[in-house]
Amino acid sequence: MNNSMDPRRPDREIRYRPSVVNNQVQSGDDATPDYMNILGMIFSMCGLMMRLKWCAWVALYCSCISFANSRVSDDTKQILSSFMLSISAVVMSYLQNPQPMTPPWANAMQ
Amino acid sequence: MKLWLVVLHIVLVGTNLWVTAHFQKEPIEDNEFAEFEDFEEEKPNRETVSTSDYSSSHFENIERVNNYEEDDISIEDIDNEFDHFQDEEEFEGLDVTVGNSDIRIEEPSTLKITKVPLHLRARWDSFYLEILMIAGLLVYFINYIAGKSKNYHITETWYIDNKQILVENFSLVGDTGKSIDESIINGPIKESESQYSIYCSGRIGCDSLLIELKLIKRQDLVAVLSQLIRPQNDQAHLRIELGKDETDNFVLAIAAKKTAIHLSKDMADISVYCPEKRSGEKFNLPSGFYVMSEISEAASAILDNKVLQAFNKYTNYIEYIHISDQYSGPKQQEDVTQLTMPEVKKVLFVGLNISIKGHINKAENQEKVRPLLQLTFYILDKLRRFKLSKEGKSKTDKNRLKVEEAFLKTTHAARAEAAAARREERRRAEKKRILQEDDPGKHRKWEEKEQRRLAKKRAPRMKQLKVNAL
Repeated sequence: MNNSMDPRRPDREIRYRPSVVNNQVQSGDDATPDYMNILGMIFSMCGLMMRLKWCAWVALYCSCISFANSRVSDDTKQILSSFMLSISAVVMSYLQNPQPMTPPWANAMQ
Repeated sequence: MKLWLVVLHIVLVGTNLWVTAHFQKEPIEDNEFAEFEDFEEEKPNRETVSTSDYSSSHFENIERVNNYEEDDISIEDIDNEFDHFQDEEEFEGLDVTVGNSDIRIEEPSTLKITKVPLHLRARWDSFYLEILMIAGLLVYFINYIAGKSKNYHITETWYIDNKQILVENFSLVGDTGKSIDESIINGPIKESESQYSIYCSGRIGCDSLLIELKLIKRQDLVAVLSQLIRPQNDQAHLRIELGKDETDNFVLAIAAKKTAIHLSKDMADISVYCPEKRSGEKFNLPSGFYVMSEISEAASAILDNKVLQAFNKYTNYIEYIHISDQYSGPKQQEDVTQLTMPEVKKVLFVGLNISIKGHINKAENQEKVRPLLQLTFYILDKLRRFKLSKEGKSKTDKNRLKVEEAFLKTTHAARAEAAAARREERRRAEKKRILQEDDPGKHRKWEEKEQRRLAKKRAPRMKQLKVNAL
């Protein structure tokens, strides 16, 4: 199709500018990492304050999902801090009580 | 598929562990409680005995003291009163426990020391949930690495497959925005583990082409699992920014059903200029496609035989085609009041499916996508050549004017407010500047000017009042 002439125009080259393109196309595109970050924070707080071990584990999973879905341009500090928070929630809850975890549904089953 | 097997295996092992743990747990717990029950029964007795022991010895001391001070009768009385503590017959049943009480008191502490490590050593399997969690994390990370490399591989092969056609059309292919002097770093730009972009520029009729490869999030186990329930496709979104005066003004979108709903709802230009969705069958498109067109003239011109042929042949691989001169991105929230019209761009979007439900058939896929890229360039060239008729042009111009007027009307109050605020700000700045200067003449001059202005402001109102009074 349309091979009769060369469509290339080196004089019309415009260099790639990530900021301009990114703002328009990708804003609000995928909010999974943000949601997971918030969820992770809530769960690690629950894990730390209410001593719910499963909450701490869920927080760890949330930060993993957040990490896997994060964009290259995202702030790595945020992901790192969410990891630290969730890991500390797990460690603290096992330091306080080294008993094995009771799942949240255990009470309902007994 | 291997990953599924791994996941399934872990789930099965997990449930197995859980069941076995529960089987062992219950009898052990019963025994433990039985032990404690014994203690609970004995505890009160022991306590009473020890207190009575203590009281007896205490009272014996008192006796000795009293012996020197008080009469025999009173001593006898006390003796009588507490005699039964020393009387062995009184504690017939408790004798044994009294004898063992010293050993028993020590027992709980020894229990505590010996039991904890035993409990830990004996029941690693009681940590089945923790083991399951760690196994889950491991599986997640294995999947992350595997998915990440697979997505990278898909992008690389796609780029290599289509590089030829891109090079034929663009003078700059795969630009990463970095200086050319830093050696050649051309190629796909990584946005996230599942999203890559390829930027091309330097072609007649357009400023740039940005190909966004939005792949399935293979790196995220949750997304991989949800793929089972709601299968998604790997997609390539081509965004072509058209030259400013090279094409006529109109908005047109052709899209598969799901995307059509999304476009007409969320895209500002489509929802304003062509809110009506028409079935594609009227335009000889395969069923399942919808056409949203501002003027039918443009739609019928763009959908010529070649394009229709491509649509019929690659029905599953074309997601949408969106041509617009008024593209301003997704619709703004209503509460965000903008004072100026959003910046618009002339664009051509084409959405293509690289894979259907994540299955990539390499040879077939390569055959299919290449003509679709050619179709995109064909439409681009057609847009450049296509000119609207006079009526069509006047209609589209009228539409744009109408939209602008409506926008100005809705934002009139807000704009007036903003203008007043700006004026006030300017005046304040001027006042500040005058006050900073030390020249009293200038001060007086400015004050006079300000008073005159205020008087002028009041004057028409006065006149109005007069008219009203008359």
